[in-house]
Amino acid sequence: MLRLERICRQYNAPARTLAVLDTVTLSVERGEFCAIVGPSGSGKSTLLNIIGLLDRPCSGRLEIGGEAIRSWTPHATASLRNRLIGFVFQSFQLLPRLTAWQNVALPLQYRGVARPARREVAEAMLARVGLAAWSDHLPSQLSGGQCQRVAIARALVGQPQLLLADEPTGSLDSATSREVMALLRSLNAELGITVLMVTHDQELAASCPRQIRLRDGRIVEGSEARAA
Amino acid sequence: MTMDTPAAPWLDSHVPDTLAEAWTNLRAQGRRSALALLGILIGTASIIAMLNSGHMAQRESLKLFAKLGIDMLQIQAVPAGDAPVALSRTAIAALPVVDPEVLEVIALATGRATARAGAASADLAIFAPAPALARMVGLVAARGRMLGAAEDCALSVVLGADAARALSGPAAAVGPGSVLLLGGYGFTVVGVLAPVRPETLDPVNYNMAAMIPPGCARRVIPGGGPNALLVRLQPGADSKAAGARISARLTPREGTLTVLDAQSILATMQAQKAVHSRMLIAIGAVSLLVGGVGVMNVMLMSVMERQREIGLRAATGASPGALRLLFLTEAVLLSMAGGIAGSLLGAGISYAIASGSGWDFDLAPWTLALGPVVAGGMGLVFGLYPAISAARLNPIDALRAD
Ligand SMILES: Nc1ncnc2c1ncn2[C@@H]1O[C@H](COP(=O)(O)OP(=O)(O)O)[C@@H](O)[C@H]1O
Ligand SMILES: [Mg+2]
Repeated sequence: MLRLERICRQYNAPARTLAVLDTVTLSVERGEFCAIVGPSGSGKSTLLNIIGLLDRPCSGRLEIGGEAIRSWTPHATASLRNRLIGFVFQSFQLLPRLTAWQNVALPLQYRGVARPARREVAEAMLARVGLAAWSDHLPSQLSGGQCQRVAIARALVGQPQLLLADEPTGSLDSATSREVMALLRSLNAELGITVLMVTHDQELAASCPRQIRLRDGRIVEGSEARAA
Repeated sequence: MTMDTPAAPWLDSHVPDTLAEAWTNLRAQGRRSALALLGILIGTASIIAMLNSGHMAQRESLKLFAKLGIDMLQIQAVPAGDAPVALSRTAIAALPVVDPEVLEVIALATGRATARAGAASADLAIFAPAPALARMVGLVAARGRMLGAAEDCALSVVLGADAARALSGPAAAVGPGSVLLLGGYGFTVVGVLAPVRPETLDPVNYNMAAMIPPGCARRVIPGGGPNALLVRLQPGADSKAAGARISARLTPREGTLTVLDAQSILATMQAQKAVHSRMLIAIGAVSLLVGGVGVMNVMLMSVMERQREIGLRAATGASPGALRLLFLTEAVLLSMAGGIAGSLLGAGISYAIASGSGWDFDLAPWTLALGPVVAGGMGLVFGLYPAISAARLNPIDALRAD
C-alpha cells in the first residue's frame, strides 16, 4: 500500500549538509494503523511531509496505493494529494471564515464536485465524526476536540488511501485526546483506511498496533509490517 | 457524483465557488479594501467624467450648427471706409456654377436702424434676405405671415420675437397690422417670427431683427445691395479652402470679406476641449496607477496573512492554478467594486460639469460600462504578481506560518 525505498532528505545548512532523513525504507500495508515515534527533531514530520507529497525527497523511491510517484511538479502532487491523502494537523488548520461543512468540503471543491453534492457528502462525513448538529458553525464556535473532528472529517471526505496525522492530539487535553484517538481507531477499523500518526504520547503510541521509531533520521524500529 | 479530477487546472475549483470565496474574503478585509478602492475610484471617475464631458461638449458644439449644418460658410463684407459696401449680384449668382463645391448661396442685405412704434423704440438689425433663407434657417411666422413673393418692394416687415416684444408698450402690443417707423418710412408689420435658437453662423440675431423685402432695401439699409452670404457646400467639402476661393472671387474693391466656416470654429472649440481632456486623462491615469499599486499591496498583505490558508488549500489539493485563480479573482473583484463606484462618481461629476457649463446633461452609456471593465483590467494586471506569489508558496512553510 505504501512503500518507501532508500528515501533521503537533506537540508543545506551554511556549513554542511544536514541529513534529516537518511536512507529510510518503509512499507505499510492497507488498513494498518501506525504510530510514528521518536525524539523531537528526529525527522518524523519530514517523513510525513514526504509521504504526503508536500515535500520532495532528495533521492529514493516512493509508492502510494501501488502508484509510484514520478512527477513532483506542484500541479501533479496537488492532484495526487487530493485523491490519495488526507491530512490532520496538530493545529487543526480550519479556515476561520468557513463553516464546519464548508471546511470539510474543501477537498471536494478541488475535485470539481458541485456545491450541493459537496454539502451532502460533507454533512454525512460530519455526522460520522459525531458533529451532525454543528455543520453550520464556524470553527471559532467549536471546542478544540470538535475542531479536530472537523479536520478528521475533512481528511476523510474524499475517501483517500492514506490518513496522515502529525501530532493530532498535541493541542488537546488527555480526555479529548483519547476521544479523538478512539475516533481515528474506529474510522480505521470501519473504513479500512491506512493511518500514519506522529505522536509524543507514549500511552497513545503503545495503544497502536504498530510503532515506527525514528532516531536521527533513520528508522530504528518497525520499518516492516509485522507478520500478522 | 463524479470524483474525478478535471483535466484543466483552471477548473480545479469552480469559478462560482471561487467568486463566492473571493467575495467573502474581501468583505472580511473591510476598511483596507476600501482604501485601495479609493485610487481606482478616483481614476475611473475622472476618466468617465472626461469622456462624458467630451461627449456633451461635442453635442453642445454641434447644436451651434444644428440649423445650418457644418458644411456652411458665412461671408460678410466689411466696408473699408464710410461708404457702404455691396457684393456683386452676378458674381454671387455665378458661384454655384463656377465652384463645384458650392451647392447654394443665399444673399442678404443687412444693416441696423432704430424702429419706433408709438412711444416705444428699439435698435434693430434689419435684414433683407433672398426668399430661400426662411426655408434654410427654418424661420416661420408665429403670428401673421411671412413676406410674400409679390411684395418685393412693399413696405412690409416681419419682426423677430424679441423685437416685437421690445416695441410693444404697456398700452399697445405690436403685432400683425401695427405700423412701424423704420428709417423714416412707415412699414406695416405683417408677421412676428417664432423664436429662433441663435447659432454661430447666423448673420443677424433673428430674434432681435426686422425682416424686410430685398427689392427696395435701399430705403433703410445704406447701399441696399447684398453684403452677407450663406454658402452651402457639398457635404465633406474642405470649407477653409472653399472660403478662400470664394473670397478671392467676391472681395469688393471698397472693402474686405470676413469668412466664418463651421469646421474651423468646431476645430478651435475641440482644441480648447482637448487641453481640458488631457488634464483629466492625466489625473485618471495617475490615480489608476496609484489604485493599482494599492490593490497589489492589499493583495500581497492578504497573501502574507493567509499563508496557513494557502498551505491548507494546497495540502487538500488546490493546484497552483486554483490558488492563482482565487487571488486573481479577489484582485479583480476588488478593483471592479472601485470601478463601479468610480462610474457612479464619474456620472455625478459629468452632471456637475454639465450644469456648471450650462449644457444639457447626457451620458454615453458605454462610458459607464467602461469603469468596471478598466478597473477589472487593472485588477488583473496588478493582482497577477500577488496571485503568482501565493501559488508559489511552499505548502510546508505556509502551514507553519503564524
Ligand atoms: N526547512 C528546514 N531547514 C533546515 N532544517 C530543517 C528544516 N525543516 C526541518 N529541519 C530540521 O530537520 C530535522 C527534523 O525535523 P522534523 O522532521 O520537524 O522533526 P520532528 O517532527 O521529528 O520533530 C530537525 O533537526 C529540523 O531542525
Ligand atoms: Mg514534528
